[in-house]
Amino acid sequence: MNSLAAEERLAFQHSTARLLADRSTEVDVRRTMETPSGYDADLWKAMADLGVVGLIIDPAYGGAGAGPVEVEVVFEEAGAALLCSPLLSSGVLAAGLLQALDDEDANLRLLPAIADGSLIATAALTGPRGTWTPGAVAVRARAEGDACRLDGRASFVTHAHVADVLLVAANAADGLAIFEVEARAAGVAVTPAPTFDHTLRIAEVAFDGAPARRISTSRPAWDAVEEALSLARVALAGEQAGGGRRVLEFTVDYAKTRLQFGRAIGSYQAIKHMAADLLLESESATSAARHAAAQLAASASDAKAAVELAAFACADAFVKICADAIQMHGGIAFTWNHPAHLYLRRARSDAQLFGAAAFHRERYVCELEAAHG
Amino acid sequence: MADDAAAPVTDDGLREEVRAFLENQWTGLLQGETERKAWFAKVVEARWAVPRWPTEWMGRGLGDVQARIVESEFAAAGATGTGQDRTNLWANTLLAGGTQELKERLLLPLLRGEVGMCLLYSEPGAGSDLAGIRTRADRQIDHFLINGQKVWTSYAATADYGMLIARTDWDVPKHRGISFFFLPMKQPGVEVRPLRQITNESQFNEVFLTDAICPEENLLGELGQGWGVLQTALAYERSVMGEGARGPRSGVAESKNEEPLIALAREAGALSDPLIRQEISKVIGLKKLNALNTARAKAEMKQGTSSALMSLGKLAMSRILHEEARVRTMILGAGSLLEGPDFPRAEDANFLTLNAYFTSIGGGTDQIQRNIIGERVLGLPKEPEVDRDIPFRDVRSG
Repeated sequence: MNSLAAEERLAFQHSTARLLADRSTEVDVRRTMETPSGYDADLWKAMADLGVVGLIIDPAYGGAGAGPVEVEVVFEEAGAALLCSPLLSSGVLAAGLLQALDDEDANLRLLPAIADGSLIATAALTGPRGTWTPGAVAVRARAEGDACRLDGRASFVTHAHVADVLLVAANAADGLAIFEVEARAAGVAVTPAPTFDHTLRIAEVAFDGAPARRISTSRPAWDAVEEALSLARVALAGEQAGGGRRVLEFTVDYAKTRLQFGRAIGSYQAIKHMAADLLLESESATSAARHAAAQLAASASDAKAAVELAAFACADAFVKICADAIQMHGGIAFTWNHPAHLYLRRARSDAQLFGAAAFHRERYVCELEAAHG
Repeated sequence: MADDAAAPVTDDGLREEVRAFLENQWTGLLQGETERKAWFAKVVEARWAVPRWPTEWMGRGLGDVQARIVESEFAAAGATGTGQDRTNLWANTLLAGGTQELKERLLLPLLRGEVGMCLLYSEPGAGSDLAGIRTRADRQIDHFLINGQKVWTSYAATADYGMLIARTDWDVPKHRGISFFFLPMKQPGVEVRPLRQITNESQFNEVFLTDAICPEENLLGELGQGWGVLQTALAYERSVMGEGARGPRSGVAESKNEEPLIALAREAGALSDPLIRQEISKVIGLKKLNALNTARAKAEMKQGTSSALMSLGKLAMSRILHEEARVRTMILGAGSLLEGPDFPRAEDANFLTLNAYFTSIGGGTDQIQRNIIGERVLGLPKEPEVDRDIPFRDVRSG
């Protein structure tokens, strides 16, 4: 996969960090998460102008031509800032899936508009079981002359409510394939679902004879899905590492200034030892996320294993950091107004998206067995 | 240690010189102690053992960058003996704090590996709180008289000298009354008794000191400044530690090139158990994460940024060792009830379970390590210390 030069990567990281420090403050996040769309359209435009939305898209289609390493770096910033945005759905998952399928017509039709932010796409890859495996796909495709129609349901579709285009995994007569569907076409019903993480949007999508265009590919379609999911998992891992680091920072700061019994609570070993353990979690998550990105970018033989490891290690670390952070703060973090629960909500959601930790642990062992035998 | 300016040699010139030396002198693998000592003597003689040291002590006054060139050339040839200016705990401590007389007597033999050494730090009453030592060194006319008890001393029976901390002033707060010595071990006042560990092995000893004699010139640093010398010594020790603990001791390997836990589970018929697979995945993941952290720490150090990661390695390793032993036991189930050479898998699981404490207690307990990380890395305030500013004589102990 692609990579940028180090200076270019740093520039992306810094400009993203500056933009988010300015436009995705806690106040912004709290305001945006209560809106129906769940994202800030002006910020979305600014991110597109910066090149972040089209980060991984080939320059031939108007993107920055970056890869997993840059995605990971940008998502560390997004995670730290609790960014409310369809970036993962459109810029990573949908764009990644299109490029993995590599249908020239579809690429020309969709990627330039995804890159400049004028079109939001997402991928509908799993059914009600929510396992992101081929067996869980609950949409069927039938041919109708030259066209196709879809029936069935897709669940946990991120940002479907604001998407213009859905990339839908469906079982056709000749096997699983990916279909392009206009989100607002007749026969498509997008029902937003209430989410535990208010900074995230997911929807249930019902297809009832929805008109669809099959995206052609020279490879098994689910292989392309896995490639896109790997990229999305690296993005999530970066988000988890960056989010965890931010939570640990403000928790340690609080432990230095909150006084009880005449001492900073961070001077007590009960708190200090928790903080030390969380630093190990946080640093390990960062190492895992960056390693997975690097191996994926290099198409290394252990890239799959590295992604699986990052997927469960970063998910577990982010949840633990957020959960312990609330305990370390005490009563103040039990209030709605304190940001800790926003991060815990994000952490618990991230830990389920695109496969839960136990799923990735199992696949990690499989990878290690395969590497041996 | 000198800076690069003291060594007007180019990188290429240096590299050529090392290569020429290795080509002429290095014959490959060393067989036995005699060959090893002979090789080390050659390396010292040729001034490659401690290139960062000043020239008067067989060094070359090289900066770190050039010294690393020397090390990488030795490593490429598979040769040992250089880099001792980083790794030789004894020689570095002596160079930093020793008297002229002691340095002249011991520095070169230490570099040549001819002197047996041991550490006389911990005491039964001073473990985590090392500054609470009660071994005393009382000044006589031209020597010190040492009385007390030390513990957790490896190689005490064969050592020629022990690096000793002892209290020389009882009327000042605890950190300020300690002095640092090179104590001659082969004398009547030093009695070494092997200590039987929970693993049923004996790698450590107790050392009883009864009117042991330490010559005046074997004092390192000023009288009462031993705590500072100790910090230097500990820094060298830590920089070579964390290489990981011992593996299984049965010597009966599960598999040469497969992850040991997977091989063990396969052999035990447990590899299809989904619960076991989850546990195996967690442990191998922890090991890999630690390796990644270490790699990232090294990369960050190279860039000149200090890394929080270095201090996390020991804590991570403790957890890995305890977890790995737990999962081995889980895989074996009732098989872990047994021990002995006929049951090597049980032997390994049980040994590793107990030996994990070697890392989680030895060299600073996990709890002390968390204090260090909390205070030095995260900047959290220290606990108030009730014994910090009072004369040691008034400090409670027990």
